[in-house]
Amino acid sequence: MLRRNVRLRKEYLYRKNLEGDERQLYEKKRKIREALQEGKPIPTELRNEEAKLRQEIDLEDQNTAVPRSHIDDEYANATQKEPKILLTTSRDPSAPLTRFVKELNIVFPNAVKLNRGGQVISEIIETARSHDFTDVIFVSENRGKPDGLIISHLPFGPTAYFQLLNVVTRHEIQTKKEMGKMSEQYPHLIFERFTTQMGKRVMNILKHIFPVPKLDAKRIVTFSNESDYISFRNHMYDKGEGGPKSIELKEVGPRFELRLYQVKLGTLEQDEAEVEWVLRPYMNTAKKRQFLGE
Amino acid sequence: MAAVKDSGFEALEKLKSTEPPVFLAPSSISEVARAASQYLFTKLKPHNPKSPFDELLVDGFDAEQIWQQIDMQSQPLLSSLRHEVKRFAKSPKEIRKIGDLAVEASHEGDVDEMDMDDDNDVEDDDDELEADESEGEEEEEDGEEEEEDEEEEEEEEENEGIEDKFFKIKDLEDFLEEGEAQEYGTDYKNKKGLSKGKNQNLSDDDDDYDEEDEEDEDEDEDEEDEEFGAFAGDDNEDADNLGKARYEDFFGGKKKETKRTMKDAIEDEEAGDGNQGTEKLSTHEKELLKLQSKIEQMEKANLDPKHWTMQGEVSATKRPKNSALEVDLDFEHNARPPPVITEEVTASLEDMIKSRIIEARFDDVQRAPSLPTKSKRQAKELDDSKSKKGLAEVYEEEYVQKSNPAFAPATFSDELKKEASMLFKKLCLKLDALSHFHFTPKPVIEEMSIQTNVPAIAMEEVAPVAVSDAAMLAPEEIFAGTGKIKDESELTQEERKRRRAKKKRKFKAESANHPVKKARDTNTEIHNTGNE
Repeated sequence: MLRRNVRLRKEYLYRKNLEGDERQLYEKKRKIREALQEGKPIPTELRNEEAKLRQEIDLEDQNTAVPRSHIDDEYANATQKEPKILLTTSRDPSAPLTRFVKELNIVFPNAVKLNRGGQVISEIIETARSHDFTDVIFVSENRGKPDGLIISHLPFGPTAYFQLLNVVTRHEIQTKKEMGKMSEQYPHLIFERFTTQMGKRVMNILKHIFPVPKLDAKRIVTFSNESDYISFRNHMYDKGEGGPKSIELKEVGPRFELRLYQVKLGTLEQDEAEVEWVLRPYMNTAKKRQFLGE
Repeated sequence: MAAVKDSGFEALEKLKSTEPPVFLAPSSISEVARAASQYLFTKLKPHNPKSPFDELLVDGFDAEQIWQQIDMQSQPLLSSLRHEVKRFAKSPKEIRKIGDLAVEASHEGDVDEMDMDDDNDVEDDDDELEADESEGEEEEEDGEEEEEDEEEEEEEEENEGIEDKFFKIKDLEDFLEEGEAQEYGTDYKNKKGLSKGKNQNLSDDDDDYDEEDEEDEDEDEDEEDEEFGAFAGDDNEDADNLGKARYEDFFGGKKKETKRTMKDAIEDEEAGDGNQGTEKLSTHEKELLKLQSKIEQMEKANLDPKHWTMQGEVSATKRPKNSALEVDLDFEHNARPPPVITEEVTASLEDMIKSRIIEARFDDVQRAPSLPTKSKRQAKELDDSKSKKGLAEVYEEEYVQKSNPAFAPATFSDELKKEASMLFKKLCLKLDALSHFHFTPKPVIEEMSIQTNVPAIAMEEVAPVAVSDAAMLAPEEIFAGTGKIKDESELTQEERKRRRAKKKRKFKAESANHPVKKARDTNTEIHNTGNE
């Protein structure tokens, strides 16, 4: 197991190294393809390699045509397996935090809640790996209010660190009787305004927590980005009486704002992993820049 | 002139006789007052050579203008009178010489002065009162004038020797005294005034001083104040004269300030300034005072320790408790504040969600198309045409394949397929090598192939390849034989023969296994054909 992990990590690093060469190759192929399409002469720097490259172009198919980067490689095979999530908290969680985690348990399909006890993070992740979990989600708190969310994709995947704001749990809104039961259908997903590279990466991370839904699912989970603050909403919808255009939405489940502050290219227990992106609010232009969209 | 004089005199008499309340109400008394003023003016004219007016212009002028005219005449008169008074103060005997009349006149003048002073202190608005004042002043001046006249006569008698038309010692003295008075302020005059020895005045002066304290400053009153304002005025004078302080001010002076230090003097000045100073100073001096006080304030602020907000980096121990709460700390926040979730925000979100649902435009996870694990079944094409091979040949091929796989001819019909299969075999070999110890070695095709002695590769490579020992040469294959190696030059003849024989035997054995293809003997063929 250890040696397997070592080997996999080395493969990953090797592939990352090759990326530069692959990108160059891809660029050359693209130029040739363009030239051929437009009927223009092939650029002179590619004349020597033209024949070989042309052969490769002919043999290309859907998968090989796009250059693969190591970044989204983690999710390359994610769609073939249903995600399995492990939910935990920081140490000594307070009662509101445990309630919040219980709600998240219901929100994410295929999620399993684990009491933290005195376990070390590396232990937790090792057990998760061995039991074939795809993601681990940590929730931390500050004086009863949940204020941190860490999503770690498991084989060696990226870890996204979020700050939670404006958390409204179902327990806060109503008493237990009025709450009723929440449907645990696989939900449809809506992502709004994730336009930049970083935004698409975050969208990927959040997307692959959920499994593939049925087409007629009535549950909707929304992640809406507004100037780098992601709003999470959970609704059930019903076709109204007024015809096909009217829809009744019923808000169900907790509601919170997420603010991304770090993405690491490793799992949670790898402190020395490379930081893919980190928020820098102290820079002078921080107010003007938006990293996730628009 | 005489008629005018008489009428003027009459007017004066009439004014004197009228009751005071009549002055307060507007009436014909104003005409009388004007006439009286004119009379007095013309009376005084001879004593004042510098006056620009020959007579007081009353018709069509209002009170202010009349007063101005009188003022212009009386100002220089007053100063000259003061000099005379001081002179008399120096030499009181002269007063007695002049006679009873003069004393009486002066007393009257004093009385009038006192009365008029009180009146003067009150602010005047009405014509009548102003006229009264002017009248009073003029009466006072009259008294002093008479005195002065007699003194003048006496002086003139004394100084006849030096003086002539242009130079008069009296004028010289006057001029000098005026200059001194300007330089040293009113200090000089007052001292002279007081030492005149008019005891009656002292108590009155105190009263006046008190009154003046309460009233507003008025520049018109300044001169009166200067004359009669007593002790406190000295403080003010010291303020002005600090830069020009004289020995007498501090030591052996006529005043009590002998023992005061500079500092005390300053303090007194400041105290005095508050009370009286502004009333005695010109605008320039007032401004100077203000500046000085400002300067002192600023110097004091500089010397004091600064407020904690101005001290740079201040920790909590260095500032008073809870003081940071009172200060309005202002700094720029570089991060955008978190969004406040209002009803509108939720409404807009829900609208967006609804529109998406209607369009059925979701960002769900898409199942990726899995790569085909099994290739498609290729339908075998049945050839309809007659096969070119005979049946016997087919059987022959099968038998050969079974017995001797190496000799079997290629069963693949397509060359491309052959090439593809070769490539695939190579690929499989490499893949198997990657999977460590389940490696199956290459099938040994009996050809002449060079086997290199490949050492085992270290385990720290990316794709660790464990090469099986099957590919390595055994040591015997590298070198077969004993350790005793002899060079060719060392061999004896027999040993050489032995070696050659061995080689031949070996060669024969090998050639028996692989029959060497003989090159076609073209000569024989040709020869054959040639023969036949």
